Amino acid sequence: MERNPMRRQLAIMRQSLFDQGHVDEQFVQLEELQDDANPNFVEEVVTLYYRDSARIILNIEQALERKPFDFRKLDAYMHQFKGSSSSIGAKKVKAESTLFREYCKSGNGEGCMRSFQQLKKEYATLRKKLGAYFQLARQAGPVETASRPK
Amino acid sequence: MLEGKQNGQVFKLPKVILLATNITNVELEKAKAAGFADTVIMKPMRASMAAACLQQVLGIGKKRQAGKNMLNGSMALQGLLCGKKILVVDDNMVHQRVVAGALKKFEVAVECRESGKAALKLLQRPYCFDAFFMDIQMPEMNGFEATHPIRMMESKANKQMNGGMDKDSGRKGEWHVPILAMTADVIHATYDALNAGWMDVSKPFEEAKLYQVVAEFFKSTRSNCFT
Repeated sequence: MERNPMRRQLAIMRQSLFDQGHVDEQFVQLEELQDDANPNFVEEVVTLYYRDSARIILNIEQALERKPFDFRKLDAYMHQFKGSSSSIGAKKVKAESTLFREYCKSGNGEGCMRSFQQLKKEYATLRKKLGAYFQLARQAGPVETASRPK
Repeated sequence: MLEGKQNGQVFKLPKVILLATNITNVELEKAKAAGFADTVIMKPMRASMAAACLQQVLGIGKKRQAGKNMLNGSMALQGLLCGKKILVVDDNMVHQRVVAGALKKFEVAVECRESGKAALKLLQRPYCFDAFFMDIQMPEMNGFEATHPIRMMESKANKQMNGGMDKDSGRKGEWHVPILAMTADVIHATYDALNAGWMDVSKPFEEAKLYQVVAEFFKSTRSNCFT
């Protein structure tokens, strides 16, 4: 149990990321790759993810403006997005990506649009939560070892 | 290390590693039977799995002494993999970064390329890689297509050394490239493999054996076990 109140707060925040299903086991994998040689690994990878996913989201938005929908293209974009999201352990976002792809495969345009809206919501929430988490982490200073969520 | 072939030097062809998101034993067997993949790893790739697979396919650590202290299992693995040079080919930059991060943890020298084409460019001049982590589902050129030239080099090398012994290593010409490729969708990857003509049968890789290796290495370590 952390004595430092900031670190305690950080641990609580971290736990809720898991409890609320925003991140999964893969996030722990990233944490475990963080060490003295790579003290900001998690945040670096997540930042890379934001850049990558912002681009893909834009592509999807543009693709959804063109009718009729090019489901193959949409699916290809989402394949990329899902890959990135699962690489950082973004659980809810990944689940929504899967749903979107299913709609693509069945040629369900309405479903795609609905799913995409939901995905953007989840994505925004994730960014907000991770943003707050990393900000606190920076203030709290380096944490020793990652601990597994209960 | 893959060195110049003109002057009759030895080929030591790299191993290529297959990663997949989810896989049943049936699909695993199919992918392996498709010929080019010796092992399938789930994507997104876990640090321990990457290192363990590498260790397994590179045949390192087989001569571990009985009763050796496994408390520093991960450090032992690190020592074994230290200095190995790996090429990661993945069009997904985020995943590429994760794979590179995982391998670097074990002091593996990592190079990354975003496409099969870029990877093949690297192969055109002398290089020394011990393994490839190759994404299957890439646009333009998929992992199977990118791996094909490596296979060709291998059969050439085998033919050149057929019946003869390599004077440096004393090995006969039997280079085999265990391939570890990354895919988020094993079923489609298997179809792609079949379509790409990779029908030759390769040695089946026992998944259970792999987990055993991982378990052995990590069971006595700190609680950060990867299962």
